[in-house]
Amino acid sequence: MSRKIKDNIVKSIIYLATAITLSVLLFILGFIFVKGIGLVNWDFLTRDYNEKVFYAFTQSEEIPMSIDTDTLSKNTPYDDRYETLTEGPIYIENIGAAVSKISYKNYTSEKEQFVISYIEKGSPLLNAKDSTGATINIKTDFILESINGESFENLTLDEVVSIISSQSGDLKIKVVQPGGGIKSNIITTLYMVLISLLVALPIGIFGAIYLTEYAKPGRIVNIIRFAAETLAGIPSIVFGLFGMAFFVVALNLQISLISGSLTVAIILLPVIIRSTEEALKTVPMAFREGSLALGATKLQTIFKVVLPCAVPGIATAVLLSIGRVVGESAALLLTAGTVSQIPGTLFSPGSTLTVQAYYIAKEEGNIELACAIGIVIIVIVIVLNILSRITSDKLDVFNKK
Amino acid sequence: MDKKIKFNTKNLDLFYGDFQALKSINMEIGEKEVTAFIGPSGCGKSTFLRCLNRMNDLIDGVTIKGEILFDEKDINGDIDVINLRTRVGMVFQKPNPFPMSIYENIAYGPKCQGMKDKTQLDTLVKESLVKAALWEEVKDRLNKSALGLSGGQQQRLCIARTIAMNPEVILMDEPTSALDPIATAKIEDLMSSLKKDFTIIIVTHSMQQAGRISDKTAFFLMGEVIEFNETPIIFTNPNDKRTEDYITGRFG
Ligand SMILES: Nc1ncnc2c1ncn2[C@@H]1O[C@H](COP(=O)(O)OP(=O)(O)OP(=O)(O)O)[C@@H](O)[C@H]1O
Ligand SMILES: [Mg+2]
Repeated sequence: MSRKIKDNIVKSIIYLATAITLSVLLFILGFIFVKGIGLVNWDFLTRDYNEKVFYAFTQSEEIPMSIDTDTLSKNTPYDDRYETLTEGPIYIENIGAAVSKISYKNYTSEKEQFVISYIEKGSPLLNAKDSTGATINIKTDFILESINGESFENLTLDEVVSIISSQSGDLKIKVVQPGGGIKSNIITTLYMVLISLLVALPIGIFGAIYLTEYAKPGRIVNIIRFAAETLAGIPSIVFGLFGMAFFVVALNLQISLISGSLTVAIILLPVIIRSTEEALKTVPMAFREGSLALGATKLQTIFKVVLPCAVPGIATAVLLSIGRVVGESAALLLTAGTVSQIPGTLFSPGSTLTVQAYYIAKEEGNIELACAIGIVIIVIVIVLNILSRITSDKLDVFNKK
Repeated sequence: MDKKIKFNTKNLDLFYGDFQALKSINMEIGEKEVTAFIGPSGCGKSTFLRCLNRMNDLIDGVTIKGEILFDEKDINGDIDVINLRTRVGMVFQKPNPFPMSIYENIAYGPKCQGMKDKTQLDTLVKESLVKAALWEEVKDRLNKSALGLSGGQQQRLCIARTIAMNPEVILMDEPTSALDPIATAKIEDLMSSLKKDFTIIIVTHSMQQAGRISDKTAFFLMGEVIEFNETPIIFTNPNDKRTEDYITGRFG
């Protein structure tokens, strides 16, 4: 009788613990989603973080509108969560585009803007060049600020339309490419994953091969293993400090993609070495013996027989690594920086999604936006995980019967 | 009795650390004969077999004393191990095909030796499979994984893969112990047909098998060779009392 009661008590404790874990997890994910999902849309994913201001040079040209007014007003691209259409759109023939007045409200300020809401085929805006002669890709939802020196500030839409229509010949238009997106952060994150894996994977795999296939068990192997395990336990900020002192300053690589990637690669090494080692250890001795008995050299045995068998394990290492890179913030804050731009070269700075989420939450106090980034991070991790699972299944030699 | 001697061991001792697993073994193994090793478990049959292609190199702490002459050259002396293993092939107790296609399993050894020519490889693969009596069963699935074969087929594949190296000697460590009687019978037939091309040394726990296929039999006990003679003599008229006890099942 009392044993039954005891059993039941223990059982309910176990259930309770499971329930708590699950609900905490669901609560966190739910919180992030509810907070952030409102901000996740195509613009958010594809725009740069910072606005870009250009002077666009082009020639005016009379282009009649090819659609009717109804379609035009439906065409207006504005996001009614933080943009309200106040006037327009009105089509202007000499720039071949329609303009609307939109009141734009974000969490800190509110302003009125004139936004391109439709561009006709053959519009002179489409072949506008900037001051260096490079083509600007003007799109709908770009903001117009002035034309040939006449500012649109505090004007009504009608006044702006008449100013624009009165221009002819050369046009010099001040346009703003809207910001607020995380395109550069997504790209920086992918670069970071790619480069750090490119560096850490070969080194880690060769290290693991040395440890399992070549090194005689003993002092040195134990020391290396101990070192790897210790490295795995050190908080990443310490690696960040090292990366900053060594890559950024001593090697003079600056705060850059390459400094960040190398720092993260060091963080990844122990993970990769350990999972590859485990994978190599599970390859049956019989395969090695079979290969050697056929007169294969040790190297041939390792590369043609042992390594292919270890692919699923190595894929796990890749998976864990991707998670580490995407999730890393402290070390990257110090080595790759917080500049939201697509790194043009290995030596330009860039901010990954996680760093950007940190930066936005901490420096701008915008929790919603940070949560929106959180959602994107979760999705990217899930997608990359599925991809590496699929590839590892494809490469798994034991799967093909 | 003017058969050529393939392997000749002289006072061979082998130690695993401090434990002496082989004690002063002297044995002459003739060319193109089937030699069987019998004896109770743990008596050193596998250990001795693995000396002959230096597979014991893989184990730490093994020391070997005495000589193993292969074609009159000491294999523990100044020889190329890789070359030795291409000349002395080995088939293991548990079938161990590589997790690759049937074709790749057989082409593996020759490719490791640098054979690249596709047609040459194709012929070799076919020849080896034919010799191993497996061709008819697998000719339509050469590119399928070898892991999909039955145990008996896998073991014949391992034999085929060894034959593909065209070795002089094939060592077999209980090659049929993991197989059913029908698969065993096929492999025994195979061994009788291979005998004219290869020197075969086989470890077996089955007296009947040793009796059926071998020309000579060695009886091992506690790391020593108690008796080594023509198979019929060992089985009908052994010199040593212990051999007789073992063969008649009166042992220990
Ligand atoms: N790697 C090793 N390290 C230490 N001792 C070993 C090792 N391999 C075998 N031995 C020992 O050497 C002796 C001979 O082993 P071996 O495997 O040669 O026996 P066997 O005759 O093949 O037995 P079985 O018929 O069971 O296969 C045994 O006592 C065994 O415990
Ligand atoms: Mg054995």
